[in-house]
Amino acid sequence: MAKKKECIAMLLAGGQGSRLGALTKSVAKPAVSFGGKYRIIDFSLSNCANSHIDTVGVLTQYRPLRLNAYLGTGHAWDMDGRDGGVFILPPYATESGAEWYKGTADAIYQNIDFIDLYDPEYVLILSGDHIYRMDYQDMLRNHKEHNADLSVSVMQVPWEEAPRFGIMTADSEGRIVKFSEKPKNPDSNLASMGIYIFTASVLKKALIEDAKDPNSDHDFGGNIIPNLLREQKRLFTYEFQGFWKDVGTFSSYHQTNMELLDEHPAFDLFDPDRPILSNTNTQPPQYIGPRACVSESIVANGSRVLGTVDHSVISTDTFIGEGACVKDSVILPGARIEAGARVVRAIMGENSVVTQNSVFGSEDLSVPIAVLGNEAVYGEGGKK
Amino acid sequence: MDRAIGIITTNYDTPELRELINGRTAASVPFAGRYRMIDFALSNMVNAGITSVGLITPYKYRSLLDHVGAGSEWSLDRKSGGLFVLPGSVFGISSPGSRFLLRDLRRNLVFLTRAAARYVVLTTANVVANMDFADLINVHEKSGADITMACVDATRDEKNLSNVHVENGKVTGTSKGVKAGELAFADTFVVTYELLMKLLEWYGAIDYLDFFEVISGDYDKMDVRTYKFEGYLRTIYAAENYFRNSMNLLNPAVADELFRKDRPIMTKITDAPPAKYAAGSKVTNSLIPAGCHIEGTVEDSVLFRGVTVCKGAVVKNSIIMQSCTIGENAVVENAIIDRSNKIAPGTVLKGSPDAILIKEKNELAI
Repeated sequence: MAKKKECIAMLLAGGQGSRLGALTKSVAKPAVSFGGKYRIIDFSLSNCANSHIDTVGVLTQYRPLRLNAYLGTGHAWDMDGRDGGVFILPPYATESGAEWYKGTADAIYQNIDFIDLYDPEYVLILSGDHIYRMDYQDMLRNHKEHNADLSVSVMQVPWEEAPRFGIMTADSEGRIVKFSEKPKNPDSNLASMGIYIFTASVLKKALIEDAKDPNSDHDFGGNIIPNLLREQKRLFTYEFQGFWKDVGTFSSYHQTNMELLDEHPAFDLFDPDRPILSNTNTQPPQYIGPRACVSESIVANGSRVLGTVDHSVISTDTFIGEGACVKDSVILPGARIEAGARVVRAIMGENSVVTQNSVFGSEDLSVPIAVLGNEAVYGEGGKK
Repeated sequence: MDRAIGIITTNYDTPELRELINGRTAASVPFAGRYRMIDFALSNMVNAGITSVGLITPYKYRSLLDHVGAGSEWSLDRKSGGLFVLPGSVFGISSPGSRFLLRDLRRNLVFLTRAAARYVVLTTANVVANMDFADLINVHEKSGADITMACVDATRDEKNLSNVHVENGKVTGTSKGVKAGELAFADTFVVTYELLMKLLEWYGAIDYLDFFEVISGDYDKMDVRTYKFEGYLRTIYAAENYFRNSMNLLNPAVADELFRKDRPIMTKITDAPPAKYAAGSKVTNSLIPAGCHIEGTVEDSVLFRGVTVCKGAVVKNSIIMQSCTIGENAVVENAIIDRSNKIAPGTVLKGSPDAILIKEKNELAI
């Protein structure tokens, strides 16, 4: 028996992130690079570390190799202690056969044993694909104050965007009275952020019942929450104020990276009190060459900039040759922009190359952001 | 039994490092934007597959232990072997230039007897090089020598290095000081384990001497050879060559050789975000690590983690260490600004290329 925990986290990291296609061809979305030196999962894991939640089950399914390697022992997030840590939880076989995770709720259901191991009072359910900084202890305090069965973290969205979200309608106490998935005519603008705190006993009972239902999609939003509302359980909102972004599409991924470049960014990577932790190899400092020009950009270690970088995110171990120019772009780790090349309004995948004097991307704002996949080569010797 | 174990000595006098060793050891002097001197020795050991490393500490070891911790960054937090922090002797330093004090080795005999191996690689923490110690051991093993000394051609006159005298391929002695072009000892050698144990036993009475002083009369009885290292190697025992060798890192060829991907130099990790360059910042020919925030101008300089260069500030030909702030419109030229200095707006701090200005840790506050 492991040491009993008050609250453990279950982090859903099995999704393919198909809308990020070229960047998730060989890696799961939570392992996609973000913000120069981070991977998307760093933000949720760092929130756990900074909230003193030291036991995190990471549910993986799609292309887990790179994600598993990245998580390692959990040391990078101080989660390699004796009691707790990071646990990778893939689908597994039992006496009655083997099955994939059939939905978010099913993934947790199949790991009830893991929850039982720590016998927590509360279970925090997270997604591994959001960029935000949150004190989960504050949410837990709110959960306890309301003696809630389930707390759903929500944030106000502009009314016209509400139809794109799962919308919670709550009374003046914050008790949820209605949940509508992508409502055409929303009566609330409180969008679910996909962050839940369950009282553990309520969660287990709900999961076991849901598993028995052959008509269920085994989804938290689609099945578990509506079921609990029907049973008149105590569901409360936790209203989050602050920066939160789903980076599930190229345009939101690109835009959220660009927002880091503002003089006073809404999301401050530099906040020393709640640092974003990551598992990085030691890279030497970046070298900015004699004729280089870097402006309104962030640049990660190990990079070599000989050309011009303007309003861009340059990740670890990137090379930008003489006379090359990068503008309004996100360049992922290990990418190479050869001499004289021009990259504008683009996302370049890991270890991708734009060859000498090639032009990738377009200034024309009506053209979508150009995306070069991981390991791809654009220009002479690659695709044109 | 391990093939080789390592010993890194750090218990030596380096008065010429001056202000840079106020409150820290020569081994923990920051270098190359994010590293400490000791990172090269530790990484070279580990990259050669050596998993037992003894670190002989000087008296004031706080900054050194703060940096190396349990050795986890070098994967030396192991069940079998690992990093062994060993005490150096307080009154042991015999003469300037001594790097391998016999007493420091004798005091830590237990490390040697417990971590028995066929060879022992010894080096100091102040050698800047990416040297393949595995190759050094291979050459030593193949030749059947008792001791193999890594050597380089001196790039300039250097009184802090020893000249190695060779006749017919065998070392016949060493002498202090070396002239440009002469063969210099790279403060790194491999010795056959049994011989080292015997020497430590025989010469107990004169253990206040340096290892190479102790064996000075024995070269005719032993097989001591050289291993010529052709790569980039500098030793840093003085502030003046600290500055010059830091600036060498602005040559990408030098940086590539030191920080090679197949033999990485590892260091203590801090979770600093990537460096941020504001609109209007001008950075050329400089090393900038994570955690820096640049709004002004930086030319021909090496910055360390967490440095802020405010609007209108100019940093030229300088080294700015961790957590310094260069205030608005301040000018810093030909200087080493040690860590945690806050340079007030408009201040002008200038040394000259021949007389680098050094500001100690925490010397200036706003």
